[in-house]
Amino acid sequence: MVGTTKDLGEEWIKGRMPHPETLRFAQGDRAAAHIEQIHKLFKGEAMKRVPTVITGTVGMDAHVIGTKVLSRALRDAGFKVVELGMQVTPEEFISVAQETKADAILMSSLYGMAELDLKGFNEKRMEAGLGDVILYIGGNLVIGRTDPKEVEKKFKALGFDRVYPPETDTDAGIEDLKKDLKAKGKM
Amino acid sequence: MKKLRISNKRIDDDLLMKKRRAELDKWPTGKEVDFDEAVAYQKSLPDSKIWWKVMTKLREEGRMSVFPRAGTPILEKMIELCQGLRDSGVVLIPVTTDSYTRLGQYEKIEEILKECYRTGKPLLNGYPIINHGVKKTRKLIESIDAAFSPRGGGGEIAIASGMTTWGGGIGFLGFGSYSKNMTIRELVERSQNGMRLVGWYADRGVILCTDLHGWLPSAPFPLSVNIVCLIIEAVTAAEQGQKALYPLVHCMGNMAQDMAWIRLAPRLIREYLDKFGYKDTMIVGVCPSQTPLFPVAMDLGGAFAYLTYISMIGALSKTNAVDLRSIDEGAGVPTREANTMSYRAAKWIFDVVREQKIEIDVKDVATEEKVTETEVRAILDKILELGDGDIVDGTIKAVESGVLDSPWSPNVNVKDKVLGVRDVKGACRYLEFGNLPIPNEIKEFHRQKIAEREKLEGKKADYHTAVRDLWSLSKGKILGIPPYNQ
Repeated sequence: MVGTTKDLGEEWIKGRMPHPETLRFAQGDRAAAHIEQIHKLFKGEAMKRVPTVITGTVGMDAHVIGTKVLSRALRDAGFKVVELGMQVTPEEFISVAQETKADAILMSSLYGMAELDLKGFNEKRMEAGLGDVILYIGGNLVIGRTDPKEVEKKFKALGFDRVYPPETDTDAGIEDLKKDLKAKGKM
Repeated sequence: MKKLRISNKRIDDDLLMKKRRAELDKWPTGKEVDFDEAVAYQKSLPDSKIWWKVMTKLREEGRMSVFPRAGTPILEKMIELCQGLRDSGVVLIPVTTDSYTRLGQYEKIEEILKECYRTGKPLLNGYPIINHGVKKTRKLIESIDAAFSPRGGGGEIAIASGMTTWGGGIGFLGFGSYSKNMTIRELVERSQNGMRLVGWYADRGVILCTDLHGWLPSAPFPLSVNIVCLIIEAVTAAEQGQKALYPLVHCMGNMAQDMAWIRLAPRLIREYLDKFGYKDTMIVGVCPSQTPLFPVAMDLGGAFAYLTYISMIGALSKTNAVDLRSIDEGAGVPTREANTMSYRAAKWIFDVVREQKIEIDVKDVATEEKVTETEVRAILDKILELGDGDIVDGTIKAVESGVLDSPWSPNVNVKDKVLGVRDVKGACRYLEFGNLPIPNEIKEFHRQKIAEREKLEGKKADYHTAVRDLWSLSKGKILGIPPYNQ
């Protein structure tokens, strides 16, 4: 005899019962999803999705404090952060994004050569199927005193959704990220 | 304890020569280097182009020079830039390489250089010395009456071109601040294999100078770990044959600490050089350095103020060189005008203040000196204990166990268990001691100082405090009470 649904669930979670009786007639994929939902409910897991964000300093740049401070702020805000550190090639950002099914890539650059480093990046990431990934970049992005609006235009043309000047508050960036993720239904 | 020693794997001359040629073969310009001709060329240089002699003369005459940063890819522009520096009174000129040169990406550079010459734009963030080679670089050296130092790279091409500095010991700068995966053992090996060069030249009567950086404190953090590393760098350099060196002292903005450290660093380096038996290695000066985060490009006022502060500290401490960035630092490669203005400002301070030979007695300097000296000795004693008298072995064990540690290092092999914050006077204190072997009374001193700040701010000092303090000098407010924008 089957007990209450709660008992059923527990037995199932503990692996002692293959399928709950009630799902005998469910079909294919829907069944699997259904099972997962119930599984989660019984385990008390939140239904909310935790987005994955990749951070790192791009190209040959060895600056790391900004990206470390940002990574910690993101973690504190509840994100899953894949922290790549310094001297990350654009290709590495792409392959890690594919592996981790990342929702966003937040790049830092402080040595002024980001434009050279990111030549062709947008095409490569599109080819890799990452067209939907949110892209931010921040730091000292060019050599010389340039109007921040010019810099923003330049990097948006390289595929970035948002471009931040130096000394941007991490909280502001994180608020923007939440907004952008919600708009894509990823949060 | 066993006799103080340094594990020294001096490689034999045959192997050395083979390695030197192999390194030069990495790019065609390497063929321009003939070792004996390079020695002859070096010996033909006038005193004004020999770094250690220039520093010594400055000190004897009670004068100062800025030691700036300078590098631009197009040769003619680089000559112009350096001439501009010389006109501003700079007699110690760096040749700063670009980031791609530092990582050996010569083919990439060749393409970019063509673009630079085609468009007239500086597309690299420095002077690509390997790609330019000896002949071209000698043009630079010969056009200007100053001593030149390669920064960030340059190898034998730099020496053959007539530059007169060469690093000859374990360099923590590269390890702690610029590498991701290097282990301390790899650093030691690299240093000991590659640095016999300075001794080779010394044997032939050519004395190359080096500046010591220590483990760069990338955030407000007491300078004790850095000074320990300066000492390690000094003795290991002397072991490889270095005859002339001087420390950079990374000023953090609290005047008492900065002046204390400027006094302490050369004194302790001399003591340990003598202890290890290197009495003939000269300390040719001290160079306060403008290291913490620089104001943003648009904040010219902050930029001027910051460089003036460091110049002032140097002048009051009677140093002979000051490592300054130009007001263009936040903006990129400095223009000639920016350099001229910046170093004119510094020179004004040198010529007006330094010449007064002020005997200054700032109240807290003695305390700061005592505290840091106690910390340095405690850490060094631990290192020598770990290495059983061998400083190199001890250093390896120290880094691996966090006895040597620094916050926010990009290197994944560093413990990163330490953290610093400023106190109510902006002095750097330990918030987290990690595994640093600091005596309890000293720890109490730091805790008390931090408690004073907590009382003032009405909140506990933590990681977020340390983050706010990152901007103390760049935003121009040393005590981290928010808000910064009021």
